[in-house]
Amino acid sequence: MACSNTYLWAGETTWFCCGAAWGPCASAGGGACGNCRSGSYHGAWPNASAACYSITRPDLCSGEGGIPRRGCGSVMKVVQQCSRAAVCITITDCGPRTHSFCGEATCCSGQCRTNRILDLTPAAFSAIASLNSGKTGVQIYE
Amino acid sequence: MTSTDFDRRRFLSTAALGGATIVGATALGGVDPDAAFAAQHQPLDPAVPSSSFVEGRVTAIEDGSLLKVAGSYGERNSVRITNATSVWKLYTVDIDAVEPGDGLYARGVAMPDGTIAADAVWVNIVNLEVVIRGIGKNRLAMGHHAGELVGRIHDDHTSASYAGGALTKDLSRIRMGQYARVLGAWRPSDGAIDLARVSVGH
Repeated sequence: MACSNTYLWAGETTWFCCGAAWGPCASAGGGACGNCRSGSYHGAWPNASAACYSITRPDLCSGEGGIPRRGCGSVMKVVQQCSRAAVCITITDCGPRTHSFCGEATCCSGQCRTNRILDLTPAAFSAIASLNSGKTGVQIYE
Repeated sequence: MTSTDFDRRRFLSTAALGGATIVGATALGGVDPDAAFAAQHQPLDPAVPSSSFVEGRVTAIEDGSLLKVAGSYGERNSVRITNATSVWKLYTVDIDAVEPGDGLYARGVAMPDGTIAADAVWVNIVNLEVVIRGIGKNRLAMGHHAGELVGRIHDDHTSASYAGGALTKDLSRIRMGQYARVLGAWRPSDGAIDLARVSVGH
């Protein structure tokens, strides 16, 4: 799949660190795919594999049971729901733990996105939102 | 290059040369990072990223505005702080709060001289998956990967969100064994995390 404009999913994205890094991120490693780097446009998807899905359990959140399988190397376009800032990412890890935050919503301009369905590296997240916001609402295309 | 890219590059170039005085957030970057990003209305071109991103540790600060940064993969960068740059270190700070040894992420525009004119710099920022292992008056003990971290609670800056709820200063509902995401600032001196936000899951 290329970074294109076919709608895939919508929800919240958070951010995480991976690969060689400073501080507590130094223990993160290269992620489920082995090549995740904080400084690259990478992301973690909760259904990157069956094993991944068994950890993240998006199906335990209303409306997320059908989230599609997209494995290592899948490419997605992530668009911030209000600013429409966009970034193309490659899936290199499994996450986030969607089921732990069922029902959580991020809203802007009266639009809300519910449930954590994507984790972005700092490079990718900072292209569409401020890192200190921690999470933001997005639409995802492929 | 889009018109927004051009405007942003021109704006930061001007700021880097000291020709701009910024009061509050602007559409192209500002003192408050949230306001700056909220004001961005044009999408970045995903095929040709117009922003430069820097990750690494500060090795030196030159002329009070140029951060020399050693990346985790051996790369070297120079990050220019302008009067349009937002700097975050647990909260919005001045460059005076940045020290050699700090980690950072920076976003900005590449200048002809090879420096990066930053519109946002996040110093020591982390956003970690943890399990709450202990709760004290001013600190949390947190399991992270195979190790332990200390989270320092600051009355003025630490808030919590429970199961997706709104942020609150009330941390009393945090329980042992809970899974959480913590956003904060790592302290290179002792490895602890100054907590900005504790998001506790179900």
